[in-house]
Amino acid sequence: MGRIVLDQVSKTFGDVEVIPPLDLTIEDGEFTVFVGPSGCGKSTLLRMIAGLEDLTSGAIEIDGEDVTEVSPSKRGLAMVFQSYALYPHMTVRKNIGFPLRMEKMQQTEIDKRVETAAQSLNLMDYLDRKPGQLSGGQRQRVAIGRAIVRDPSAFLFDEPLSNLDAALRVGMRLEISEMHERMRTTMIYVTHDQVEAMTMANKIVVLQAGRIEQVGSPLDLYHKPQNVFVAGFIGSPKMNIFSGPEAEKNGAHTIGIRPEHTDVSMTAGTWEGRVGVAEHLGSDTFIHVNDTGLADMFTVRITGDISVKHGDKIYLTPRADQIHKFDVQGQRIE
Amino acid sequence: MSDRKLPRLLQTPAVLLLLVWMLIPLGMTLYFSFIRYVLNNLRRPEWTSPSPSNWRGFGNYEFVLKSKDFFLAIQNSLFIVCSILFLTVILGILIAVLINKTFPGQGIVRVLLISPFFVMPAVNAVLWINMILDPVLGLQGIAIAGINDVLDGLRQIPILGAFFSLWPEFEPISFRATQTSAIAVIMMVTWQWTPFAVLIFMTSLQSEDQQQKEAAVLDGANTWSQFRFLTLPHLGRPIAIVVMIQAIFHLSLYAEIEIVSRGNGNKNLPYLIGEFANNNIGAASATGIFAVILANIVAIFLLRMVGKTLME
Ligand SMILES: Nc1ncnc2c1ncn2[C@@H]1O[C@H](COP(=O)(O)OP(=O)(O)O)[C@@H](O)[C@H]1O
Ligand SMILES: [Mg+2]
Repeated sequence: MGRIVLDQVSKTFGDVEVIPPLDLTIEDGEFTVFVGPSGCGKSTLLRMIAGLEDLTSGAIEIDGEDVTEVSPSKRGLAMVFQSYALYPHMTVRKNIGFPLRMEKMQQTEIDKRVETAAQSLNLMDYLDRKPGQLSGGQRQRVAIGRAIVRDPSAFLFDEPLSNLDAALRVGMRLEISEMHERMRTTMIYVTHDQVEAMTMANKIVVLQAGRIEQVGSPLDLYHKPQNVFVAGFIGSPKMNIFSGPEAEKNGAHTIGIRPEHTDVSMTAGTWEGRVGVAEHLGSDTFIHVNDTGLADMFTVRITGDISVKHGDKIYLTPRADQIHKFDVQGQRIE
Repeated sequence: MSDRKLPRLLQTPAVLLLLVWMLIPLGMTLYFSFIRYVLNNLRRPEWTSPSPSNWRGFGNYEFVLKSKDFFLAIQNSLFIVCSILFLTVILGILIAVLINKTFPGQGIVRVLLISPFFVMPAVNAVLWINMILDPVLGLQGIAIAGINDVLDGLRQIPILGAFFSLWPEFEPISFRATQTSAIAVIMMVTWQWTPFAVLIFMTSLQSEDQQQKEAAVLDGANTWSQFRFLTLPHLGRPIAIVVMIQAIFHLSLYAEIEIVSRGNGNKNLPYLIGEFANNNIGAASATGIFAVILANIVAIFLLRMVGKTLME
């Protein structure tokens, strides 16, 4: 079990309000991702749930029980830190077994549980090493192992992959998703990387300056961003967002078109521009188009390859049903 | 190969200087320890200048081993050094952990804590033995006289007085006596060197990873467990440093011993060397070689012990 309810939770450091009062419910078994730019308060929010940070106001409930005043270790949550926070003087075995040892569990039972966890994380060969002798990915696994053995009601991850290189990150991403599929335990995952959010989450919470901009499934956010911020934040390459006469023609203050929802032609189309840089990925081509008169730069994404040169004239046509419209306040217009 | 030659060449002066610095005194000590060499001898004036013709073999060593103060000096050296190390490390850790928390007046408290370290050893010894430990004029004497006065007063009380009459008068302790002078030395050096330990431990505590602590909190570790399993191992290396440096310094304590008791019943090896060196340079050198051996044994032993117990 692990249903977490935040009720008007807020946090102030000195006189800076980092998190204005905020409501959020995380259902049992859900993989929830907090995503937002650096410094928006994701870690603070997570640490408040963990109990490492006091609330300025509001209440936190876990499984119907008010835990606002409950000490971190009694909340039944396990956390994986960005820096791994392994205990450097202990072997991997001792690291993973540490929470159990603190519970005064029998040594034989500890050994059994540690080995089970180590097996599922491919750490059997490293049990007697110290963290300093492990690679980044292995350290991450140990940190996860230390969380798993406690059999928590929810896992909290604070940017666990941001210290890993790109290839390893993709691998660990899959492993954590796999782990969630297997265990079906509530997980809250903090990241500033929207790709991680999109690929892993059941539910994404987009945060900006401590405020929740939108909550929804990855595809909700992709297809129906509630405001300009979410529209610009979710999706890669970024959505093209601009105001002006072309937006007003569509009956909106601001409109947005994703790069993949724009058709390209060398002969005719709605808007005209010049090819800037073309990035050829093989499967896709990203073309950055200048001089459209819409935005500084307009990005389009084409499946497959296309031969364009810098400075070529190019015509763009947005797919009418894929245009996102926003009002003056930046809110979505249906 | 050739690209290695230049760095080697550039290192040479430093290495040579270091070798000269260490090897010449050590070589001379070794040489003097094997010859008869005294400063003053009217009957055998040829012994008063160092020369290989005065070769004595292990004679000086035998002489030192047989002298009545030698084993007392070794025992005392070890007793004083080990006690100081034990006390400074324990006190150092306790104080460092205590003042590592933020509190008002932190800066002043830290400066005050460090200040004993800037007192000269001889001054420190004079202050302690005369102003604090003196059985009559020192703080000790005054305090005990005060307690005795209070007791006297209590004895005058009609009924309760009978109970207090059963209590003995308190006697001040003389720290210049044979049995207690080593204790006095230990106290004053501990007072002076605890700040050093505090300073080193405090820097180390400040570099402790806070996320590890938070992870431990979530793992259910209470304050003691955090200290035992995280902070103490983290301090392992600084403790080794404090132990090593202090061992080096305190094996050669001299001023304190001279001032407290003039070596009366409380010699250590350096003091013994000093006594021999009044005339018998050969014996003093042999004692010096024993001191070098002792220092090495102590160093190896301490390093092993510190390393084993703390690194789990
Ligand atoms: N202990 C603290 N004291 C003061 N300000 C803090 C503290 N912790 C975080 N902040 C501030 O709160 C804001 C949010 O921080 P954080 O939650 O770490 O952001 P994120 O994890 O989203 O990058 C930042 O502006 C940061 O400077
Ligand atoms: Mg963060």
